Amino acid sequence: MENTQENLSSLYGKTLMLDKLFSYCPGCGHGIVTRLVAETIEAMGIREKTVAVVGIGCGGFSHHYMDIDAIEAMHGRSPSVATGFKLASPDNFVFTYQGDGDMGAIGLADVLHAANKGVPITCLMINNTVFGMTGGQMSPTSLPGQITATTQKGRDTHLHGYPILIPEMMRSMPGVKYLARETVADAPAIRRAAKSLRKAFECQEKNLGFAFIEFIVPCPTGLKKGVKESYVWCKDQMLNYFKPTIFKDETE
Amino acid sequence: MPEETLFLKNTETFAESMVRCGVRFHFAYPITPASDVMKHSAVILPAFGGRMVQMESELAVANALAGCACTGRLGATSTSGPGMSLMQETISFMAGAELPCLMLDSMRVGPGDGDIIGAQSNYFQATRGGGHGDYRVIVLALDSGQSAVDLMPTAIKLAYTYRTPVLFVMDGVTAQMTETSTFPEPHDYASEFDTSGWRYTGTKDHPKRFLLTGSYTHSQGYELNERLRAKYEIIKEKEQRWEAWGLEDAELLIVAFGIQGRMVRELAARMREEKKKVGYIVPITLWPYPDKAFEKLPKELKRVLVVEMNHGQMLDDVRLAVNGRAPTSFLGKTGGDTPLCTLAEIKAEAERLLEA
Amino acid sequence: MRYKCVFSGSGGQGSALLAKLVCQAAIVDKLKVVMSQTYGIEQRGGDSTAFVIVSDQPIGNPLVEADGNLGIALSASTYGTCLASMGNEGQLFYNSSLIKSEIEKPGLTQVPLKASDIAIEVAGTPRGLNLVMLGAAVAATKFLKVETVEEVIRETIGHKKAALLDSNLASFRAGLDKA
Repeated sequence: MENTQENLSSLYGKTLMLDKLFSYCPGCGHGIVTRLVAETIEAMGIREKTVAVVGIGCGGFSHHYMDIDAIEAMHGRSPSVATGFKLASPDNFVFTYQGDGDMGAIGLADVLHAANKGVPITCLMINNTVFGMTGGQMSPTSLPGQITATTQKGRDTHLHGYPILIPEMMRSMPGVKYLARETVADAPAIRRAAKSLRKAFECQEKNLGFAFIEFIVPCPTGLKKGVKESYVWCKDQMLNYFKPTIFKDETE
Repeated sequence: MPEETLFLKNTETFAESMVRCGVRFHFAYPITPASDVMKHSAVILPAFGGRMVQMESELAVANALAGCACTGRLGATSTSGPGMSLMQETISFMAGAELPCLMLDSMRVGPGDGDIIGAQSNYFQATRGGGHGDYRVIVLALDSGQSAVDLMPTAIKLAYTYRTPVLFVMDGVTAQMTETSTFPEPHDYASEFDTSGWRYTGTKDHPKRFLLTGSYTHSQGYELNERLRAKYEIIKEKEQRWEAWGLEDAELLIVAFGIQGRMVRELAARMREEKKKVGYIVPITLWPYPDKAFEKLPKELKRVLVVEMNHGQMLDDVRLAVNGRAPTSFLGKTGGDTPLCTLAEIKAEAERLLEA
Repeated sequence: MRYKCVFSGSGGQGSALLAKLVCQAAIVDKLKVVMSQTYGIEQRGGDSTAFVIVSDQPIGNPLVEADGNLGIALSASTYGTCLASMGNEGQLFYNSSLIKSEIEKPGLTQVPLKASDIAIEVAGTPRGLNLVMLGAAVAATKFLKVETVEEVIRETIGHKKAALLDSNLASFRAGLDKA
């Protein structure tokens, strides 16, 4: 066992903490995004100066699997915490890791203003269309008709509006230098997401301005689906509304 | 920059003082009567290598301040009334996370939108912890620009020694007054503290650290609270501050803080000249409350009079400290063109109580 | 010494400048000064009243609560407010070019001065009436040093409007002479 871990460490480097047991549920999209983040940090050689500001929700666990400093902010406030941090310590690499509830509901103002100010931080929103940790309630990104713990007959757009499209809201902001929506629904998409993440991180390293990626991922538990089924649903239903796009790349 | 005397609005004096003592990042959102602090800090901070950062709400202000504190550097904020209420969740967070910072509540009339005129109506919010959980922040009462200058080094030392938010309260009447304050030579007190043992600035010089105020197990919540309790007990024991006068034989003890305390100092001296046995206790720390000031009350004491710009908030703490040893009276008001008790009003009440 | 000053005037008469000059001169003379604004300069229809406390001791009570002992009223509409803030001793200087009838207050010495007329006489414009009044108050009470006030007038007015300096100094000196 120890031998295997060593072998894995030589493959993955120091950032990913392979001795930690995942608390993500089987099939959770967070596992893939967290690994992509760890690999990007490792590949860029920025582990020692990286600080994660994580949200409340399952995304808050992400830093436990990485050998980096981390701050667990109050619900929704990670971009504001990261703004104050980056200002006082500009040599650190600072990114936020938040879910769609944390960022899209309670923390929408924080992320939009950080984006509009062009704060040189990187914000990641992992969108699985539900409040996962609290038991699968409707989030601002739940799809029309989606059945959740709090919309048992499906999301009614007359009552709850339509799923919120955050990158689209940031498109017109000149301070935003890298802006994309990616997904982990299948292997080619994961490879594209990895490239995008590298760009978003380099945007901060070059001190260009704000970078943002929304990741569309499945939450088998919250969606009350099997792992395979949840990936199919993610690809067919979620991507139909949340279309993977590179909205802006001003990193070159 | 040698010692100098400046004639400034007390909000501006507060800004000058915090910057001259080491605050380099001031996060704020406009609100009367605190706005002049950010207006002034925006002008003076660049020369000190710092910045005033205007955020989009008090929620963002408090959280950016928390982020700044995570780096070990000293940040500050200033606000009033509703702004203070909006920050409470994050003040609870910073207390739990043991992050040092400075805050000013330039108190105005509440509740709700309230009124922009000065008040002392946030005593409960400041001293009881307006946010959730068993936490406290150190609260220092200001009664003039000079008191801000004099207390600023202490506040920074308290913030870093105990790793806690320190909150100044200054009623809006005092905040809006313009007066002379003498500043000593600038000195960066914040940088004297070694933060390398706890700051979250990357794993280069320490194993992974993470700031957690939540609990994954019930025992974590218990342990955090026990750790905080132990710290608060030390603060209560060591950091009570107050001014007392005339306690050796006072028949009437007046207790007041901030501008009302400042007035009571003059009143007591005047009444003593008239051979009336008046003494006072003026708390400087509102938390920890200076209970020790009340330990030895004069045997001649007939009555205690509490004067506040509210409807009786510190009164609770005075009653706890006096603990039934003397009857307690209250004089106070909030709002209006003259939103505080005038010297004449306090004197009349003091004389009435002495004759009763 | 402690002077609790009440300076009232209407829009453009310069009661705020008057308060500022007094504060600055007092600081130069190493005195303690408090100017209250929330409670102090109230602005209703251009009328304003400034409260300034000048003392050689630290100032406890920063309020002027109907115990002013040095008043200057520049206009008829603010004379009443000024008078109400005065106590039963001290002096109230009022601009009798505009304030036609004196309201008696026991114990208070009231000094009429045709400040607008004097200002026109020495400078050709009533603008310097605030400085005429200040000159009279300084001469009568000696609460500030004449040289200090002149120095502060030079710094404050000369700095911004050099052309107006001479007429303002002339107004101040006319006030000193009339007292």
